Amino acid sequence: MHTLSVYFREARAQVLATWRTPQFLIPSVALPLLFYGVMGLGLSRGREEVAHFMLANYVIFAAIAPAMFGFGAGVAAEREAKLIELKQIAPLPAGGYLIGRLAAALALVGASIGLLGVLAWFGGVKMEPGRWAATLGLGLASAIPFALIGLNVGLRFSSQGATAIANLLFLGFSLFGGLWMPLNIMPDWFTRIAKVMPSYHLGQLSQMLSGMQPMADVQQHVSIVVGISVAALIGAWAAWRRQMA
Amino acid sequence: MSPNLPPPIAAISKAVKRRGATLALNGLDLMIRPGQCVALLGPNGAGKSTSVALLTGRLRPDAGEASLLGGDPRDLAARGRMGVMLQEAGLPRTLSVREQIDLFRGYYRKPRPTDEIVRLAGLEGLERRRCGALSGGQQRRVQFALAIAGKPDFLVLDEPTTGMDIDARRALWSAVRAEIARGCAVLLTTHHLDEAEALADRIVVIDHGQAIADGTPEAIKSRVSGVAIRCRSRLSDAELSGLARVTGVSRDGGRVTLLTTSAPATLRELLARDETVDDLTVAGASLEDAVTRLVGTQRQAEAA
Repeated sequence: MHTLSVYFREARAQVLATWRTPQFLIPSVALPLLFYGVMGLGLSRGREEVAHFMLANYVIFAAIAPAMFGFGAGVAAEREAKLIELKQIAPLPAGGYLIGRLAAALALVGASIGLLGVLAWFGGVKMEPGRWAATLGLGLASAIPFALIGLNVGLRFSSQGATAIANLLFLGFSLFGGLWMPLNIMPDWFTRIAKVMPSYHLGQLSQMLSGMQPMADVQQHVSIVVGISVAALIGAWAAWRRQMA
Repeated sequence: MSPNLPPPIAAISKAVKRRGATLALNGLDLMIRPGQCVALLGPNGAGKSTSVALLTGRLRPDAGEASLLGGDPRDLAARGRMGVMLQEAGLPRTLSVREQIDLFRGYYRKPRPTDEIVRLAGLEGLERRRCGALSGGQQRRVQFALAIAGKPDFLVLDEPTTGMDIDARRALWSAVRAEIARGCAVLLTTHHLDEAEALADRIVVIDHGQAIADGTPEAIKSRVSGVAIRCRSRLSDAELSGLARVTGVSRDGGRVTLLTTSAPATLRELLARDETVDDLTVAGASLEDAVTRLVGTQRQAEAA
Protein backbone atom coordinates (compact mmCIF):
# COMPACT_ATOMS: atom_id res chain seq x y z
CA MET A 1 0.00 0.00 0.00
CA HIS A 2 2.76 2.38 1.00
CA THR A 3 4.67 1.64 -2.22
CA LEU A 4 1.57 2.13 -4.34
CA SER A 5 0.79 5.45 -2.73
CA VAL A 6 4.39 6.59 -3.27
CA TYR A 7 4.05 5.78 -6.99
CA PHE A 8 0.76 7.65 -7.10
CA ARG A 9 2.13 10.76 -5.36
CA GLU A 10 5.19 10.77 -7.56
CA ALA A 11 3.02 10.57 -10.69
CA ARG A 12 0.72 13.32 -9.45
CA ALA A 13 3.65 15.63 -8.73
CA GLN A 14 5.08 14.99 -12.19
CA VAL A 15 1.75 15.65 -13.91
CA LEU A 16 1.40 18.87 -11.93
CA ALA A 17 4.93 20.00 -12.77
CA THR A 18 4.35 19.24 -16.47
CA TRP A 19 1.00 21.02 -16.48
CA ARG A 20 2.70 24.14 -15.12
CA THR A 21 5.33 24.19 -17.84
CA PRO A 22 3.53 25.83 -20.79
CA GLN A 23 6.68 25.98 -22.93
CA PHE A 24 6.55 22.19 -22.92
CA LEU A 25 2.79 21.70 -22.79
CA ILE A 26 1.80 23.96 -25.68
CA PRO A 27 4.09 22.62 -28.42
CA SER A 28 3.58 18.99 -27.47
CA VAL A 29 -0.24 19.20 -27.40
CA ALA A 30 -0.98 22.06 -29.78
CA LEU A 31 1.36 21.05 -32.58
CA PRO A 32 -0.35 17.76 -33.51
CA LEU A 33 -3.77 19.45 -33.30
CA LEU A 34 -2.67 22.32 -35.51
CA PHE A 35 -1.01 20.04 -38.06
CA TYR A 36 -4.01 17.78 -38.21
CA GLY A 37 -6.38 20.71 -38.50
CA VAL A 38 -4.47 22.20 -41.42
CA MET A 39 -3.13 19.16 -43.26
CA GLY A 40 -5.58 16.47 -42.25
CA LEU A 41 -8.88 18.32 -42.34
CA GLY A 42 -7.98 21.42 -44.34
CA LEU A 43 -6.42 19.67 -47.29
CA SER A 44 -8.92 16.82 -47.37
CA ARG A 45 -11.77 19.24 -48.21
CA GLY A 46 -14.36 16.97 -46.74
CA ARG A 47 -13.08 13.71 -48.26
CA GLU A 48 -13.59 11.36 -45.34
CA GLU A 49 -10.97 8.79 -46.39
CA VAL A 50 -8.18 11.41 -46.44
CA ALA A 51 -9.10 12.80 -43.02
CA HIS A 52 -9.44 9.23 -41.75
CA PHE A 53 -6.08 8.12 -43.15
CA MET A 54 -4.38 11.19 -41.66
CA LEU A 55 -5.97 10.63 -38.24
CA ALA A 56 -4.51 7.13 -38.06
CA ASN A 57 -1.05 8.65 -38.64
CA TYR A 58 -1.55 11.61 -36.32
CA VAL A 59 -2.48 9.57 -33.24
CA ILE A 60 1.03 8.11 -33.47
CA PHE A 61 2.58 11.51 -34.22
CA ALA A 62 0.82 13.02 -31.19
CA ALA A 63 2.47 10.45 -28.91
CA ILE A 64 6.04 11.11 -30.04
CA ALA A 65 6.65 14.66 -28.77
CA PRO A 66 5.30 14.37 -25.19
CA ALA A 67 6.98 11.00 -24.75
CA MET A 68 10.34 12.02 -26.19
CA PHE A 69 10.55 15.47 -24.65
CA GLY A 70 8.85 14.79 -21.34
CA PHE A 71 10.98 11.77 -20.82
CA GLY A 72 14.10 12.68 -22.79
CA ALA A 73 14.88 16.30 -22.19
CA GLY A 74 12.97 16.35 -18.89
CA VAL A 75 15.01 13.59 -17.30
CA ALA A 76 18.26 15.18 -18.53
CA ALA A 77 17.37 18.53 -16.95
CA GLU A 78 16.48 16.96 -13.59
CA ARG A 79 19.60 14.83 -13.71
CA GLU A 80 21.72 17.93 -14.26
CA ALA A 81 19.99 19.72 -11.37
CA LYS A 82 20.90 16.68 -9.20
CA LEU A 83 17.24 16.20 -8.42
CA ILE A 84 17.40 12.56 -9.44
CA GLU A 85 20.37 11.98 -7.14
CA LEU A 86 18.34 13.16 -4.16
CA LYS A 87 15.45 10.89 -5.19
CA GLN A 88 17.80 7.92 -5.55
CA ILE A 89 19.00 8.48 -1.99
CA ALA A 90 15.50 9.10 -0.61
CA PRO A 91 13.52 5.99 0.37
CA LEU A 92 11.67 6.00 -2.93
CA PRO A 93 11.01 2.42 -4.04
CA ALA A 94 13.00 1.29 -7.08
CA GLY A 95 11.76 2.90 -10.27
CA GLY A 96 9.33 5.19 -8.43
CA TYR A 97 10.74 8.25 -10.10
CA LEU A 98 10.59 6.71 -13.57
CA ILE A 99 7.09 5.35 -13.10
CA GLY A 100 5.98 8.81 -12.01
CA ARG A 101 7.47 10.40 -15.08
CA LEU A 102 6.03 7.74 -17.39
CA ALA A 103 2.56 8.28 -15.89
CA ALA A 104 2.90 12.02 -16.49
CA ALA A 105 3.95 11.46 -20.11
CA LEU A 106 1.03 9.08 -20.66
CA ALA A 107 -1.44 11.55 -19.15
CA LEU A 108 -0.22 14.22 -21.52
CA VAL A 109 -0.33 11.89 -24.53
CA GLY A 110 -3.82 10.83 -23.49
CA ALA A 111 -5.00 14.44 -23.38
CA SER A 112 -3.38 15.21 -26.72
CA ILE A 113 -4.87 12.14 -28.47
CA GLY A 114 -8.27 12.73 -26.89
CA LEU A 115 -8.38 16.26 -28.31
CA LEU A 116 -7.24 14.94 -31.67
CA GLY A 117 -10.10 12.44 -31.65
CA VAL A 118 -12.63 15.18 -30.86
CA LEU A 119 -11.25 17.34 -33.67
CA ALA A 120 -11.41 14.46 -36.13
CA TRP A 121 -14.98 13.57 -35.10
CA PHE A 122 -16.13 17.11 -35.66
CA GLY A 123 -14.13 17.14 -38.90
CA GLY A 124 -16.31 14.33 -40.23
CA VAL A 125 -14.22 11.19 -39.68
CA LYS A 126 -16.53 8.20 -39.34
CA MET A 127 -15.67 4.94 -37.57
CA GLU A 128 -17.42 2.29 -35.50
CA PRO A 129 -16.94 2.89 -31.72
CA GLY A 130 -14.65 -0.15 -31.49
CA ARG A 131 -12.35 1.22 -34.20
CA TRP A 132 -12.26 4.64 -32.51
CA ALA A 133 -11.21 3.02 -29.24
CA ALA A 134 -8.61 0.82 -30.94
CA THR A 135 -7.09 3.68 -32.95
CA LEU A 136 -6.87 6.13 -30.06
CA GLY A 137 -5.77 3.33 -27.70
CA LEU A 138 -2.91 2.35 -30.00
CA GLY A 139 -1.82 5.99 -30.07
CA LEU A 140 -1.67 6.02 -26.28
CA ALA A 141 0.19 2.72 -26.13
CA SER A 142 2.72 3.92 -28.70
CA ALA A 143 3.87 6.50 -26.12
CA ILE A 144 5.65 3.69 -24.25
CA PRO A 145 8.28 2.78 -26.89
CA PHE A 146 8.87 6.47 -27.60
CA ALA A 147 9.19 7.22 -23.89
CA LEU A 148 11.76 4.43 -23.49
CA ILE A 149 13.78 5.78 -26.42
CA GLY A 150 13.52 9.28 -24.91
CA LEU A 151 14.70 7.93 -21.54
CA ASN A 152 17.87 6.59 -23.15
CA VAL A 153 18.56 10.04 -24.55
CA GLY A 154 17.75 11.74 -21.23
CA LEU A 155 20.02 9.48 -19.17
CA ARG A 156 22.96 9.59 -21.54
CA PHE A 157 23.25 13.20 -22.69
CA SER A 158 23.46 16.63 -21.10
CA SER A 159 20.30 18.69 -20.93
CA GLN A 160 21.08 20.68 -24.08
CA GLY A 161 22.35 17.67 -25.98
CA ALA A 162 19.26 15.67 -25.02
CA THR A 163 16.93 18.39 -26.33
CA ALA A 164 18.78 18.53 -29.64
CA ILE A 165 18.83 14.75 -30.08
CA ALA A 166 15.20 14.37 -29.04
CA ASN A 167 14.27 16.98 -31.67
CA LEU A 168 16.23 15.13 -34.32
CA LEU A 169 14.62 11.80 -33.46
CA PHE A 170 11.19 13.44 -33.30
CA LEU A 171 11.58 14.82 -36.83
CA GLY A 172 13.11 11.59 -38.12
CA PHE A 173 10.39 9.37 -36.67
CA SER A 174 7.64 11.64 -38.01
CA LEU A 175 9.05 12.10 -41.50
CA PHE A 176 10.55 8.66 -42.19
CA GLY A 177 7.71 6.90 -40.43
CA GLY A 178 5.42 8.28 -43.12
CA LEU A 179 3.29 10.08 -40.54
CA TRP A 180 3.34 13.42 -42.37
CA MET A 181 3.41 12.27 -45.99
CA PRO A 182 2.27 8.91 -47.33
CA LEU A 183 5.25 6.67 -48.12
CA ASN A 184 3.89 5.58 -51.52
CA ILE A 185 4.65 9.01 -52.95
CA MET A 186 8.22 8.80 -51.64
CA PRO A 187 11.33 7.36 -53.35
CA ASP A 188 12.50 3.83 -52.72
CA TRP A 189 15.38 4.63 -50.34
CA PHE A 190 12.94 6.54 -48.16
CA THR A 191 10.81 3.44 -47.70
CA ARG A 192 13.87 1.40 -46.76
CA ILE A 193 14.68 3.83 -43.94
CA ALA A 194 11.04 3.71 -42.84
CA LYS A 195 11.32 -0.03 -42.17
CA VAL A 196 13.64 0.58 -39.18
CA MET A 197 11.49 3.31 -37.64
CA PRO A 198 9.13 2.29 -34.83
CA SER A 199 6.83 5.06 -36.05
CA TYR A 200 6.41 3.34 -39.44
CA HIS A 201 5.30 0.03 -37.91
CA LEU A 202 3.01 1.77 -35.43
CA GLY A 203 1.56 3.83 -38.29
CA GLN A 204 0.84 0.67 -40.29
CA LEU A 205 -0.88 -0.94 -37.30
CA SER A 206 -2.88 2.21 -36.76
CA GLN A 207 -4.04 2.19 -40.41
CA MET A 208 -5.21 -1.40 -39.97
CA LEU A 209 -7.00 -0.80 -36.68
CA SER A 210 -8.82 2.23 -38.06
CA GLY A 211 -9.97 0.18 -41.06
CA MET A 212 -7.96 1.98 -43.75
CA GLN A 213 -5.81 -1.04 -44.59
CA PRO A 214 -6.47 -4.77 -44.52
CA MET A 215 -4.83 -6.61 -41.63
CA ALA A 216 -1.51 -7.93 -42.93
CA ASP A 217 1.90 -8.73 -41.46
CA VAL A 218 0.55 -7.80 -38.02
CA GLN A 219 2.93 -10.17 -36.29
CA GLN A 220 5.93 -8.67 -38.05
CA HIS A 221 4.98 -5.07 -37.20
CA VAL A 222 4.23 -5.93 -33.58
CA SER A 223 7.43 -7.89 -33.06
CA ILE A 224 9.59 -5.10 -34.49
CA VAL A 225 7.96 -2.54 -32.18
CA VAL A 226 8.29 -4.88 -29.19
CA GLY A 227 11.92 -5.61 -30.11
CA ILE A 228 12.78 -1.91 -30.26
CA SER A 229 10.99 -1.32 -26.93
CA VAL A 230 12.84 -4.13 -25.18
CA ALA A 231 16.18 -2.91 -26.53
CA ALA A 232 15.36 0.62 -25.33
CA LEU A 233 14.30 -0.74 -21.93
CA ILE A 234 17.57 -2.64 -21.50
CA GLY A 235 19.54 0.42 -22.61
CA ALA A 236 17.68 2.64 -20.16
CA TRP A 237 18.17 0.15 -17.34
CA ALA A 238 21.91 0.04 -17.99
CA ALA A 239 22.11 3.85 -18.07
CA TRP A 240 20.10 4.11 -14.85
CA ARG A 241 22.38 1.61 -13.11
CA ARG A 242 25.39 3.57 -14.26
CA GLN A 243 23.85 6.65 -12.62
CA MET A 244 23.90 4.73 -9.35
CA ALA A 245 27.53 3.63 -9.68
CA MET B 1 35.24 -0.61 22.73
CA SER B 2 33.30 0.15 25.86
CA PRO B 3 30.27 -2.16 26.16
CA ASN B 4 27.83 0.55 27.27
CA LEU B 5 28.25 2.65 24.11
CA PRO B 6 25.22 2.45 21.84
CA PRO B 7 25.90 0.82 18.46
CA PRO B 8 26.91 3.25 15.72
CA ILE B 9 24.25 4.66 13.39
CA ALA B 10 26.68 5.02 10.53
CA ALA B 11 30.19 3.73 10.08
CA ILE B 12 32.94 3.71 7.51
CA SER B 13 35.80 1.33 8.20
CA LYS B 14 39.12 1.17 6.36
CA ALA B 15 37.40 2.52 3.27
CA VAL B 16 39.39 2.86 0.07
CA LYS B 17 37.84 4.52 -2.96
CA ARG B 18 39.58 5.41 -6.18
CA ARG B 19 37.95 8.07 -8.33
CA GLY B 20 39.66 8.40 -11.65
CA ALA B 21 43.38 8.83 -11.12
CA THR B 22 43.14 10.00 -7.49
CA LEU B 23 42.72 8.01 -4.33
CA ALA B 24 39.74 9.83 -2.82
CA LEU B 25 39.67 7.70 0.33
CA ASN B 26 42.71 5.93 1.65
CA GLY B 27 41.68 3.76 4.57
CA LEU B 28 39.29 6.16 6.26
CA ASP B 29 37.59 5.19 9.52
CA LEU B 30 34.54 7.09 10.70
CA MET B 31 31.87 6.25 13.25
CA ILE B 32 28.77 8.19 14.25
CA ARG B 33 26.65 7.22 17.25
CA PRO B 34 23.09 8.26 18.18
CA GLY B 35 22.85 11.86 19.35
CA GLN B 36 26.32 12.61 18.07
CA CYS B 37 27.22 15.27 15.54
CA VAL B 38 30.44 14.60 13.67
CA ALA B 39 31.85 17.37 11.51
CA LEU B 40 34.05 16.43 8.60
CA LEU B 41 36.56 19.16 7.83
CA GLY B 42 39.28 19.39 5.26
CA PRO B 43 40.35 21.19 2.11
CA ASN B 44 38.54 20.68 -1.21
CA GLY B 45 39.25 17.26 -2.61
CA ALA B 46 40.17 15.83 0.79
CA GLY B 47 37.51 13.11 0.52
CA LYS B 48 34.55 14.75 2.26
CA SER B 49 32.03 14.28 -0.53
CA THR B 50 33.26 10.76 -1.24
CA SER B 51 32.62 9.89 2.43
CA VAL B 52 29.11 11.31 2.13
CA ALA B 53 28.53 9.36 -1.09
CA LEU B 54 29.60 6.14 0.65
CA LEU B 55 27.25 6.60 3.60
CA THR B 56 24.31 7.58 1.40
CA GLY B 57 24.83 4.56 -0.85
CA ARG B 58 25.74 6.64 -3.91
CA LEU B 59 29.12 4.94 -4.12
CA ARG B 60 30.47 1.61 -2.92
CA PRO B 61 33.95 1.43 -1.41
CA ASP B 62 36.61 -0.41 -3.45
CA ALA B 63 37.83 -1.92 -0.18
CA GLY B 64 36.67 -1.66 3.40
CA GLU B 65 33.08 -1.11 4.41
CA ALA B 66 30.35 1.47 4.76
CA SER B 67 27.33 0.63 6.89
CA LEU B 68 24.17 2.45 7.83
CA LEU B 69 22.04 1.30 10.77
CA GLY B 70 23.94 -1.98 10.74
CA GLY B 71 23.17 -2.71 7.09
CA ASP B 72 23.90 -1.68 3.53
CA PRO B 73 23.32 2.06 2.96
CA ARG B 74 21.47 1.09 -0.23
CA ASP B 75 18.74 -0.86 1.56
CA LEU B 76 15.35 0.77 1.34
CA ALA B 77 14.78 0.23 5.09
CA ALA B 78 18.04 1.97 6.01
CA ARG B 79 17.35 4.83 3.59
CA GLY B 80 13.94 5.24 5.20
CA ARG B 81 15.66 6.28 8.45
CA MET B 82 18.06 8.72 6.80
CA GLY B 83 17.57 12.33 5.72
CA VAL B 84 20.02 13.98 3.35
CA MET B 85 20.79 17.52 2.34
CA LEU B 86 23.10 17.37 -0.67
CA GLN B 87 25.52 20.11 -1.55
CA GLU B 88 24.16 21.10 -4.95
CA ALA B 89 20.79 19.41 -5.27
CA GLY B 90 18.10 21.31 -7.15
CA LEU B 91 14.36 21.61 -6.65
CA PRO B 92 11.61 21.30 -9.25
CA ARG B 93 10.95 24.88 -10.29
CA THR B 94 7.22 24.51 -10.86
CA LEU B 95 6.19 22.78 -7.62
CA SER B 96 5.32 24.79 -4.52
CA VAL B 97 7.26 24.43 -1.27
CA ARG B 98 4.35 22.60 0.37
CA GLU B 99 3.88 20.24 -2.59
CA GLN B 100 7.55 19.33 -2.61
CA ILE B 101 7.59 18.73 1.16
CA ASP B 102 4.41 16.64 0.93
CA LEU B 103 5.95 14.57 -1.85
CA PHE B 104 9.09 13.80 0.17
CA ARG B 105 7.33 13.10 3.45
CA GLY B 106 5.22 10.60 1.50
CA TYR B 107 8.36 8.51 0.89
CA TYR B 108 8.67 7.81 4.62
CA ARG B 109 6.49 5.46 6.59
CA LYS B 110 6.21 7.64 9.68
CA PRO B 111 6.79 11.19 8.50
CA ARG B 112 6.47 14.39 10.48
CA PRO B 113 3.33 16.46 9.94
CA THR B 114 3.85 18.98 7.14
CA ASP B 115 3.20 21.98 9.40
CA GLU B 116 5.88 20.82 11.82
CA ILE B 117 8.40 20.43 8.98
CA VAL B 118 7.57 23.90 7.67
CA ARG B 119 8.00 25.38 11.14
CA LEU B 120 11.28 23.57 11.92
CA ALA B 121 12.80 24.66 8.61
CA GLY B 122 11.63 28.25 9.08
CA LEU B 123 9.51 28.24 5.93
CA GLU B 124 6.33 29.78 7.36
CA GLY B 125 4.74 32.08 4.81
CA LEU B 126 6.62 30.49 1.91
CA GLU B 127 4.54 27.28 1.65
CA ARG B 128 2.65 28.35 -1.46
CA ARG B 129 5.63 29.80 -3.32
CA ARG B 130 7.02 27.92 -6.28
CA CYS B 131 10.48 26.53 -5.52
CA GLY B 132 11.84 28.25 -8.64
CA ALA B 133 10.91 31.67 -7.19
CA LEU B 134 12.91 31.23 -3.97
CA SER B 135 16.28 32.77 -3.15
CA GLY B 136 19.32 30.54 -2.77
CA GLY B 137 19.10 30.59 1.02
CA GLN B 138 15.38 29.81 0.97
CA GLN B 139 16.00 26.86 -1.36
CA ARG B 140 18.57 25.52 1.12
CA ARG B 141 15.90 25.72 3.83
CA VAL B 142 13.51 23.71 1.65
CA GLN B 143 16.24 21.12 1.20
CA PHE B 144 16.70 21.00 4.95
CA ALA B 145 12.93 20.51 5.28
CA LEU B 146 13.11 17.54 2.88
CA ALA B 147 15.98 16.08 4.91
CA ILE B 148 14.07 16.15 8.21
CA ALA B 149 10.67 15.24 6.73
CA GLY B 150 10.94 11.58 7.74
CA LYS B 151 12.09 12.27 11.34
CA PRO B 152 15.37 10.55 10.48
CA ASP B 153 17.76 8.74 12.84
CA PHE B 154 20.66 9.81 10.65
CA LEU B 155 20.93 13.23 9.10
CA VAL B 156 23.55 14.10 6.49
CA LEU B 157 24.19 17.80 6.00
CA ASP B 158 26.61 18.52 3.18
CA GLU B 159 27.58 22.21 3.35
CA PRO B 160 24.11 23.06 4.70
CA THR B 161 24.34 26.83 5.09
CA THR B 162 25.95 27.99 1.84
CA GLY B 163 23.98 30.96 0.52
CA MET B 164 22.26 31.65 3.85
CA ASP B 165 22.38 34.92 5.73
CA ILE B 166 23.40 35.08 9.40
CA ASP B 167 19.87 34.82 10.81
CA ALA B 168 18.96 31.86 8.61
CA ARG B 169 22.20 30.10 9.58
CA ARG B 170 21.53 30.53 13.27
CA ALA B 171 17.95 29.33 12.84
CA LEU B 172 19.16 26.24 10.99
CA TRP B 173 21.75 25.57 13.67
CA SER B 174 19.13 25.57 16.40
CA ALA B 175 16.96 23.23 14.31
CA VAL B 176 19.92 20.87 13.91
CA ARG B 177 20.61 21.04 17.66
CA ALA B 178 17.00 20.01 18.31
CA GLU B 179 17.45 17.00 16.02
CA ILE B 180 20.64 16.02 17.88
CA ALA B 181 18.88 16.47 21.22
CA ARG B 182 16.19 13.93 20.30
CA GLY B 183 18.94 11.38 19.51
CA CYS B 184 19.48 11.88 15.80
CA ALA B 185 23.03 11.28 14.57
CA VAL B 186 24.39 13.97 12.29
CA LEU B 187 27.20 13.99 9.76
CA LEU B 188 28.13 17.54 8.86
CA THR B 189 30.55 18.69 6.21
CA THR B 190 31.34 22.36 6.14
CA HIS B 191 33.82 25.02 5.21
CA HIS B 192 32.60 27.26 8.01
CA LEU B 193 34.53 26.32 11.09
CA ASP B 194 32.25 28.32 13.34
CA GLU B 195 29.52 26.01 12.12
CA ALA B 196 31.48 22.92 13.11
CA GLU B 197 32.30 24.50 16.46
CA ALA B 198 28.65 25.44 17.03
CA LEU B 199 27.18 22.02 16.23
CA ALA B 200 29.71 19.22 16.40
CA ASP B 201 30.81 17.32 19.47
CA ARG B 202 33.46 15.58 17.40
CA ILE B 203 35.56 16.87 14.55
CA VAL B 204 37.39 14.71 12.06
CA VAL B 205 39.92 16.54 9.92
CA ILE B 206 40.65 14.68 6.71
CA ASP B 207 43.16 15.21 3.97
CA HIS B 208 44.11 12.95 1.06
CA GLY B 209 41.40 10.53 2.09
CA GLN B 210 42.71 9.91 5.59
CA ALA B 211 41.77 11.19 9.02
CA ILE B 212 44.61 13.37 10.25
CA ALA B 213 42.93 14.49 13.47
CA ASP B 214 39.90 13.29 15.38
CA GLY B 215 38.55 14.74 18.61
CA THR B 216 36.38 17.32 20.31
CA PRO B 217 36.59 20.89 18.96
CA GLU B 218 38.61 21.79 22.06
CA ALA B 219 41.01 18.89 21.55
CA ILE B 220 41.52 19.86 17.91
CA LYS B 221 42.22 23.43 18.94
CA SER B 222 44.73 22.35 21.56
CA ARG B 223 46.55 20.30 18.94
CA VAL B 224 47.97 23.59 17.74
CA SER B 225 50.05 25.53 20.17
CA GLY B 226 47.82 27.92 22.00
CA VAL B 227 48.02 31.49 20.78
CA ALA B 228 47.46 33.39 17.55
CA ILE B 229 48.99 36.83 16.97
CA ARG B 230 47.30 38.81 14.19
CA CYS B 231 48.85 41.99 12.83
CA ARG B 232 50.05 43.94 9.81
CA SER B 233 53.77 43.66 9.32
CA ARG B 234 56.27 44.50 6.60
CA LEU B 235 58.31 41.38 7.37
CA SER B 236 58.27 38.54 4.85
CA ASP B 237 56.81 35.11 5.62
CA ALA B 238 60.29 33.66 5.93
CA GLU B 239 61.32 36.35 8.43
CA LEU B 240 58.09 35.89 10.37
CA SER B 241 58.45 32.14 10.66
CA GLY B 242 62.01 32.70 11.91
CA LEU B 243 60.74 34.62 14.95
CA ALA B 244 61.05 33.00 18.37
CA ARG B 245 58.49 30.24 19.17
CA VAL B 246 56.48 30.72 15.95
CA THR B 247 54.93 27.46 14.72
CA GLY B 248 52.92 28.72 11.77
CA VAL B 249 52.37 31.73 9.51
CA SER B 250 49.33 32.39 7.33
CA ARG B 251 48.07 35.45 5.49
CA ASP B 252 44.54 36.75 5.04
CA GLY B 253 44.47 39.93 2.98
CA GLY B 254 46.94 42.38 4.48
CA ARG B 255 47.03 40.70 7.88
CA VAL B 256 49.21 37.83 8.97
CA THR B 257 48.43 35.26 11.61
CA LEU B 258 51.34 33.90 13.63
CA LEU B 259 50.76 30.80 15.70
CA THR B 260 53.07 30.68 18.66
CA THR B 261 53.78 28.69 21.77
CA SER B 262 54.69 31.86 23.66
CA ALA B 263 53.08 35.17 22.83
CA PRO B 264 55.50 37.33 24.93
CA ALA B 265 58.60 35.81 23.38
CA THR B 266 57.30 36.20 19.82
CA LEU B 267 55.94 39.68 20.41
CA ARG B 268 59.20 40.99 21.87
CA GLU B 269 61.11 39.89 18.84
CA LEU B 270 58.42 40.99 16.37
CA LEU B 271 58.22 44.50 17.78
CA ALA B 272 62.01 44.77 17.86
CA ARG B 273 62.38 43.73 14.22
CA ASP B 274 59.46 45.72 12.78
CA GLU B 275 58.56 49.09 14.24
CA THR B 276 55.66 49.48 11.73
CA VAL B 277 53.55 46.66 13.26
CA ASP B 278 49.90 47.69 13.31
CA ASP B 279 46.40 46.27 13.93
CA LEU B 280 47.79 43.93 16.55
CA THR B 281 45.60 41.41 18.35
CA VAL B 282 46.48 38.37 20.42
CA ALA B 283 43.92 35.60 20.91
CA GLY B 284 43.57 31.89 21.54
CA ALA B 285 43.93 29.95 18.31
CA SER B 286 40.59 29.44 16.53
CA LEU B 287 39.45 26.17 15.07
CA GLU B 288 40.26 27.52 11.63
CA ASP B 289 43.86 28.11 12.70
CA ALA B 290 43.97 24.60 14.08
CA VAL B 291 42.71 22.98 10.89
CA THR B 292 44.94 25.05 8.62
CA ARG B 293 47.87 24.12 10.79
CA LEU B 294 47.03 20.43 10.88
CA VAL B 295 46.61 20.17 7.12
CA GLY B 296 49.79 22.21 6.57
CA THR B 297 51.87 20.06 8.92
CA GLN B 298 50.58 16.88 7.32
CA ARG B 299 51.49 18.13 3.84
CA GLN B 300 54.97 19.23 4.96
CA ALA B 301 55.52 15.81 6.47
CA GLU B 302 54.48 14.18 3.21
CA ALA B 303 56.75 16.43 1.17
CA ALA B 304 59.72 15.70 3.41
